[in-house]
Order: sequence, then structure tokens, then C-alpha cells
Amino acid sequence: MTTTAIVVCTWSGARGEVLEEAEAALTLGRKVSVALGGELQWLVVGAMPEGGAEIAQRQGVAVLENIEDAKLAGGQADAFVEALAQYCAERSPRLVLFSQGFDTRLVAPRLAGRLGSGVVVNAVDIEAAADSPLKVTASAYGGDTRVVYELAGAEPCIVSLLANAVLPESVEGAASPSVRNVAVDLSSVEERIRVVEAARTEGPRLEDAEIIVSGGRGLSSPDNYKLVEQLAEALGGLPGASRPLVDEGWVDSSRQVGLTGKITRPGLYVAAGISGASQHMAGCGAAKAIVAINTDPDAAIFRYARYGIVGDCLAILPELIRAAKK
Amino acid sequence: MRIVVCVKEVLDPDAVNNYALAGRLEIGDDGKTLTQTTIPQLMNGFDEQAIEAALLLRDAGAECTICVVSVGADPANQLRHASALGADEVVGISSPVAEPDAHVVASLLVAHIRSLGGADLVLCGRQASDDDQGVVPALIGEALGMPVVTVASSVELADTSALRVTRVTPDGDEIVEAAMPAVVTISNEIGDPRYPTAANKLKARRVKPTLVGPDDLSLDADALAPRVLLTQQFVPTVQGNCEFISGDTPAELADRLVARLREDKVLP
Ligand SMILES: Cc1cc2nc3c(=O)[nH]c(=O)nc-3n(C[C@H](O)[C@H](O)[C@H](O)COP(=O)(O)OP(=O)(O)OC[C@H]3O[C@@H](n4cnc5c(N)ncnc54)[C@H](O)[C@@H]3O)c2cc1C
Repeated sequence: MTTTAIVVCTWSGARGEVLEEAEAALTLGRKVSVALGGELQWLVVGAMPEGGAEIAQRQGVAVLENIEDAKLAGGQADAFVEALAQYCAERSPRLVLFSQGFDTRLVAPRLAGRLGSGVVVNAVDIEAAADSPLKVTASAYGGDTRVVYELAGAEPCIVSLLANAVLPESVEGAASPSVRNVAVDLSSVEERIRVVEAARTEGPRLEDAEIIVSGGRGLSSPDNYKLVEQLAEALGGLPGASRPLVDEGWVDSSRQVGLTGKITRPGLYVAAGISGASQHMAGCGAAKAIVAINTDPDAAIFRYARYGIVGDCLAILPELIRAAKK
Repeated sequence: MRIVVCVKEVLDPDAVNNYALAGRLEIGDDGKTLTQTTIPQLMNGFDEQAIEAALLLRDAGAECTICVVSVGADPANQLRHASALGADEVVGISSPVAEPDAHVVASLLVAHIRSLGGADLVLCGRQASDDDQGVVPALIGEALGMPVVTVASSVELADTSALRVTRVTPDGDEIVEAAMPAVVTISNEIGDPRYPTAANKLKARRVKPTLVGPDDLSLDADALAPRVLLTQQFVPTVQGNCEFISGDTPAELADRLVARLREDKVLP
């Protein structure tokens, strides 16, 4: 009898995922593999991250696998999809679980299309039991609802785990994993999409920030966004924004926090003049502490906030800037 | 060139938001369908922006036929809207599967595109605001062997046979080129979609969308076998435990908040 392989796939490189997220996916993968009596494998595409072996051990990974190929370095999808399709054809895993990043949103469904599998992204949990289909809970309507999907179709099932959905938990006393290099033949892959101008992060990223101060439509004019920037600076953090400010052209889209913007997890998130729509909270709900400043005491943001001020952010932000500098 | 734009009808996400926030979002007896009839149906916002992307290509001088396609029960309203915006052909595809998943929807769209003799460019919204999945474009690309460029803020013709696309990535804008045919998904950064003129709206009222059924398309059993079955939907609970800071003046509020944050070690 062959063992049921549960594969967690992450990749390093250009837009590589955060290691903590890889660990969260491993924790969920372990839950599934325990339920199915399977074997947890961690497939790292690209260079093995520093500390990878220790993470693998404390997550109870049985086999740590690695695919490296020069064609995977470009960060475009054709080589990834081909490499993973070859891997799946050879190993026939039951589940391929990704920790969700920008590129996963393309690679996971393309792989599913290639293999005839079912695919679910934005997953927050998986329930597994022998002889029954996997049940994947995912976020929908920007977070207003959760949906549960059953996965039929060819194996492997393909699931992409939303950032911040699962807390990594380690196991004690696991054996150190065996290590395997996976060979793939990518000689026939010609990347069909050519990068003419690579993306350049200018300065630190919101995803990595410990403190974020975001402004919303309550700022009422583009000039007032400077208050958000000044408070962010006074607190040693970064400025963010809700989507309407991006749509209105007040701020660059790299500032947008939310479902279709940045998924952040700061220690402190200050939301000034933001109503707290689910699509915005999808990008900041994992903050350790949210401070909300809003004129409307019934604004949804106060349901998520740890600290709240009911008041005019245009009057309070300047005072906060002053107080923060003290 | 032929541009096919794929659009989906969704429940108005703002209305869903408001009901959810008020704790009044209703889920039907089947345990999975949002049932409030007061929530309007409209075209998914990113899909409307995908139509806008096609119109911008035409404005820039591309000679193109714009064909807007929707899989759904009653697509007439949104297809009329598409027509008023400037679509040359509007097509509604009815699904033989009661609850089509992304695979079935993609299969129907692919079969239709094949029946047209192919497309040079397939435009879709980056994701639908109901299930937020955004997997249909990737499935279309795989099935048709086309490259898939996601999350575009602008689409231009690089020359007669290639596209130049700006993608909004977490690390900033990335500019890529791909030969056509290709699939491109559109993000909100492309800008607000235009409004149809009153005259075009009037004209569109008389437009009859072409209706296509599974019998008109060549599809095998696997193409119509869903892989992903929705079994349940629920509203997650948000536990609010907000501590409201009180004070008489903005200065007092600010001082008290900062003091509290320092006390709780949220700030150093
Ligand atoms: C598919 C989809 C994806 C989306 N993705 C995102 C996303 O990634 N990020 C995102 O942010 N949104 C996203 N949205 C939009 C989202 O649904 C909300 O519309 C948006 O977040 C609202 O932004 P806001 O809170 O700034 O504005 P509003 O909802 O208009 O709220 C403004 C708030 O400011 C308060 N206010 C007014 N004046 C003052 C004042 N002087 N002082 C203090 N408070 C004041 C008001 O009481 C109100 O609560 C998405 C929507 C959809 C449908």
C-alpha cells in the first residue's frame, strides 16, 4: 500500500512567502495528514530557506523536498506549473496545500486546470476523514461569510491557505525529516510572459510593518492624508489606506490594505476614518491591536478594534502626532 | 481582433456587507444560499472594469470585436448593460449543471470561445466579489493553452500580435509582454468604468442577447462534472471588545490613548 502524501508547497525567491505562513500551512497540512494516516511532505520550490530543516522538524514533516531549477528563478508561472505538474504526476499526492501569496493565486488554479483537480483559494481550514471528500472552509464576500466546499475531481486536491488564518503549532519530539531532491525536466518550458520592467519595492513593505496608520474616506480630502503619514512617521510605522483613497487617486495602490490589497499583520493598526468593511478587515484583521477613530459610534470598525475613539479624525490625528512625539 | 470579456452576475457586495454588519444576513434552509431578495444583483465590479479595459483598447485604436459572455440563469440585464457600454455581441450561456463550479463555468466559456473560432484576448475581472475565488481565468488559460496575466491595471497593444500589461504586484507595478492569444485579468486600478450614454442605453433596450445552451456547444461529461461543491455558508462571529477612550477635547483623547497604548505595551 502506498502512503497518502499531503504536500505543503511553498516557494522562496522574488515574491516568496513569509516563512511564518509556510509554517501555518504545515500545521494545517499536519492536521490533514494525521486525519488520513498520511505522510506530511514539505516541497520547497527554489532555494531552501534558512532554518527550513528546523521548521520541518518541529512541524512533524516526514519528507523535506526541494525543487531547484534555473527556470524557476524568473518568478513567472509557466515553469512553476510545469514543475508542479511533473511532481504530482510522479508522486500522486492527495492534497497540495499552498500558503497563499500573490503568485499562488495564479499557480494553484492553473495547476488544477492542468491536472483536472478541484481548487479552492482563500481557505481558512480543512477537515479530512478517511473515505470522504476533503472539506475546505474558505472566506467569501470579502470575509462577510465563510463557505464550506467539498472537493471532488481528480487528485490531488489543490488548496491555497489564506495568510493569518491558521496559527502555527509545533509538535514535540518529531524525528528529523528525510531530505529529497526532486528532479524535474523544464527544458521545454519557454516562459510565455516576458517581464519588461520588474516591480521594485520602494522602501519597506506594509506586509512586514509592525505599526501601520491607515486613513479612509473619513479624511474627506486628499490633503488630509498627510496627517496619516505624519502619525505613521511619529510612531515609526508605515501609512496605509482603504480602497476608496486608491480609487480616487489620493494615494498609490501599494498603500491599499485589504482583500485586494495588502494582507498585513502589524502589532498596531490605527484606522482613521475607515468604516471597517469586511474587504478592508481582510487585510488588517490579524493585527494584534486595532485603534479605531471614527465619528460614527456604530461603525463596524469598533467591533474589531481593541481601542476606540468616537470623534473627528481630523481633530484627533494632529493631537495624536503631538502625543506620539512626547 | 476578437476580445471576449467574461462577466458574472453577483449580489451587490455593499448590500451584503451592510446586512452582515447589522447581523441580518440571511442564509436559506439549504444552509448555503443568501436569500435576501432585497439585495440587488449586479455585474461583478472587476468584470465591469474588464469591459472598460476592452473599450480602452478600442479607444486607443485597436480594431476589435468586443464580445461579452456570461454564464448564468438570467443574464439579460447585465448583457444589456454591456451592450450599452459598447459591446458588439452579448451572449448568455445557460449551464446544464444546477450549481456549476469554476471548472464547469470555465468549460462552458472555453467551449463557446472555441465555437467562435477562438479569441485573441480573453478579459476577466481578477475575482468575483461573491466567492472571491478568481480561478476561472486560470482554468480558461490552461484549457485554451493561453498565457494568463493576472491583476492588470493597464492593457495595451505592444504591436499587432502582442500585449503589454501592467500588473499590480505586492512589490509595485510590473510590466510584462505576452503574445496573443492571451487571458488577462483586470484589477480596480484600471479606473472607474464609464457610464453608458442615454442614447446607447435606449438602443440597448432593444438588444436581444444571443442565448447559448449546452446543446450548442461541444462538451463531454468531464467538462460538466463539478470538482468543487458548495455545501454550507455561514456568517463568522466577530467578538467586539473595544475599550472606548473618553475625554473632553481631542488633546485629552489623544494623550489618554497614547498613555493607554504604552501601558499595555502596544507602544514602546
Ligand atoms: C470585491 C471587493 C474588493 C474590495 N477590496 C478592498 C480592499 O482591498 N481594501 C479596502 O479598503 N476596501 C476594499 N473594498 C471596498 C470596501 O468594501 C469598502 O467600500 C471600503 O473599504 C470603504 O472604505 P472606507 O472605510 O475608507 O470608506 P467608508 O466606508 O465610506 O467609511 C468612511 C468612514 O469614515 C467615517 N468618518 C467620516 N468622517 C469622519 C471624520 N471626520 N472622522 C472620523 N471618521 C469619519 C465614517 O463614519 C465612515 O465609517 C472592496 C470591495 C469589493 C466589492
